[in-house]
Amino acid sequence: MRTGFLRKLALRGSLASAVLAAISVTAIPAAAQQAQPCIGASWELTGALAHLGRQIRYGVETALAEINGAGGVLGQQLRLRVYDDGGEPPRAVDNAMRIGEQDNCIVMIGGARTPSAIALRQPLHDMGLPWIGVVSAGVRVLDHEGRANKWMFRVGLNDGLVAPFLIDNALKLSPARKVAFMHEASAWGQGAAPFVQNAAKNANLTLVGTETFNVGDTDMTAQLIRLRTAGAESIVYYGLDAETDALLRSMERLNYRPTIVSALGIGAQLSSTAGPLANGVRVMGTFSFWGKLDPNAQRVLNTIMANNREVTGPKDLLLHSGTASAYDVTNIIARAITLAGSFDRTKLRDALYKVQFRGLITDYNPAFSPQNHDALRAEMYRMFVFHDGMVIPVEDSPYAAKK
Amino acid sequence: MGASIQYFLSGLSIGGVYALLALGFSMMWSVARAANFNHGDIFMVGGMGTVVFLGLGLPVWVSAVLAILIATIAGALIERFLIRPFNREPNSVGWMLTTVAIGVMIVGASTALLGSAARPLPSPLMDEPLRIGGAGIFPQELLLPAVAVLTTLALYLFQSRTHLGRAIRAVAANRTAAELMGIDADRVTLYVFAVAGGLGALAGFLVAPVIQASTTIGLAFGLKAFMVAIIAGITNPAGVVIVALVFGVVERFIEGYFSTSARDAVGFSIMILVLLAFPQGIFARKEVAKV
Repeated sequence: MRTGFLRKLALRGSLASAVLAAISVTAIPAAAQQAQPCIGASWELTGALAHLGRQIRYGVETALAEINGAGGVLGQQLRLRVYDDGGEPPRAVDNAMRIGEQDNCIVMIGGARTPSAIALRQPLHDMGLPWIGVVSAGVRVLDHEGRANKWMFRVGLNDGLVAPFLIDNALKLSPARKVAFMHEASAWGQGAAPFVQNAAKNANLTLVGTETFNVGDTDMTAQLIRLRTAGAESIVYYGLDAETDALLRSMERLNYRPTIVSALGIGAQLSSTAGPLANGVRVMGTFSFWGKLDPNAQRVLNTIMANNREVTGPKDLLLHSGTASAYDVTNIIARAITLAGSFDRTKLRDALYKVQFRGLITDYNPAFSPQNHDALRAEMYRMFVFHDGMVIPVEDSPYAAKK
Repeated sequence: MGASIQYFLSGLSIGGVYALLALGFSMMWSVARAANFNHGDIFMVGGMGTVVFLGLGLPVWVSAVLAILIATIAGALIERFLIRPFNREPNSVGWMLTTVAIGVMIVGASTALLGSAARPLPSPLMDEPLRIGGAGIFPQELLLPAVAVLTTLALYLFQSRTHLGRAIRAVAANRTAAELMGIDADRVTLYVFAVAGGLGALAGFLVAPVIQASTTIGLAFGLKAFMVAIIAGITNPAGVVIVALVFGVVERFIEGYFSTSARDAVGFSIMILVLLAFPQGIFARKEVAKV
């Protein structure tokens, strides 16, 4: 009887071991397996931010056409697998899981919204899937509490560096040092608020007012009346195109014209909706297709126009910095895969620390380091200004003297 | 003082948009005891449709008429195929689902076709604001409450002086009795939904120069207009317009004297309190059911 019991126990133990072995085989991170030559993407292709997803797509597709036209990477054509998240974090997570596990892509490129990027931190870590953001500027996208960020990178702005840049520029436009802060009541705007307040404190500046507005608001006269009473001469601003249009019309109603110094939320579309009212609005960024371009940038613009009938010039590209980042990111990925020598996610991640590339925005020498996953530093940030339908560098504009 | 005048004028303007949309809800509810829950998206068609036709080279008034015509036909089609079949029984609610679903489809399809970015609709009435007592308001904004009031008066005259108008009132008062009197209640309902669609699009066309046209603009306006209609007493068109204008003004005063972020919370709280005091709405007519 005892022998029979031991035999049953041994049999169960063997079964359990086999099950455990099977589980451990399937639990090997996807990163350790050979991935497919595809770039996965979860972008805003529907909903209120669909135009931003399209701007990223222009950059990525243009770079991919060049890369694949030149023979691809490691002898294979790089494919793009795009999924729509509509700007919703849960859908972004679903898309990342599909990209990482089902499509088994080697890397993922992020979309515009910071909340979506933040929602991806855990799944990307679990899958060992490299991700490179191009627009989502939230500090917490790369700054992960409690553990090192191993898989998320960015070729775009960082709100932690944006805030001092904006405060510095707003101060230059306010001789009386009367700077206010206005932001949309979203995760992006609320998340940026502490950084703006800290930056003001570090500049020994007391903000004369802080105002919020809701996404979709069509009238900002109440906020502007308060800021006018406080004497604000310049406003550090976090908002998107539609709300900025409402802000400018409210300024016109009140005949009150403080200078708007905006984070990278507004794009060229503002010129089309607000017309001359947009003149003089400052917006930070990293790149512009307006003005005299170097041959490389001109070639990229020509390719975008040739492949997308709706783009007839820089005015139809609504977020130049985002498109340029997307172009640079795709090239950085291709070169990193070549450096890695295989479609292995871990090797690709390590190659990102060595890759060098002369991009539209800057020379990446190298793009990233283990200590810094942000490719763009504060000294690469630039201030642009709306003028007669264009968004041009302040130094090349009639507003240069006021700079 | 200037600030108060500013809030009052801005509030009247936005209230005018709520009024035109709420008027549509009121008309629909009166004859069908149901409403097109994607009325906000029909409103969007007025602005976006005009911008699209304008882009094709048509004059602005032709573009606006075409957009309003499309919305009118859409209103009729929605009633015929998405509300009537799901509103046969006294307590049917299937029409809620179908109208919300078609709204999601309209927004999704139009965003895919036209993009999500806002588009301008030029108007000479947006060139220069009028200065009134230290406040500023664009003439286009003043047009909105004016059109809302004029439309209400026109509807009143239509309903009291024309055969079809009296038929609408009859169906609204008692559908069964109206049918026994030989009125084709289904056809009357179809016409009313069509007119409501046209009114919604008219509001979208008039407000687009102020707030810019975009495919996602409709939801918030539609929701607030429906709530305004409920608070007013949805079957009383004049009451609906009055409450819509007042609500617009109250919203702006909340923004001005409390805070912008408190606007919706305070505004909705006021609505709930008013509903507690007037469960049928402030201007509701007493409905008596014989049992």
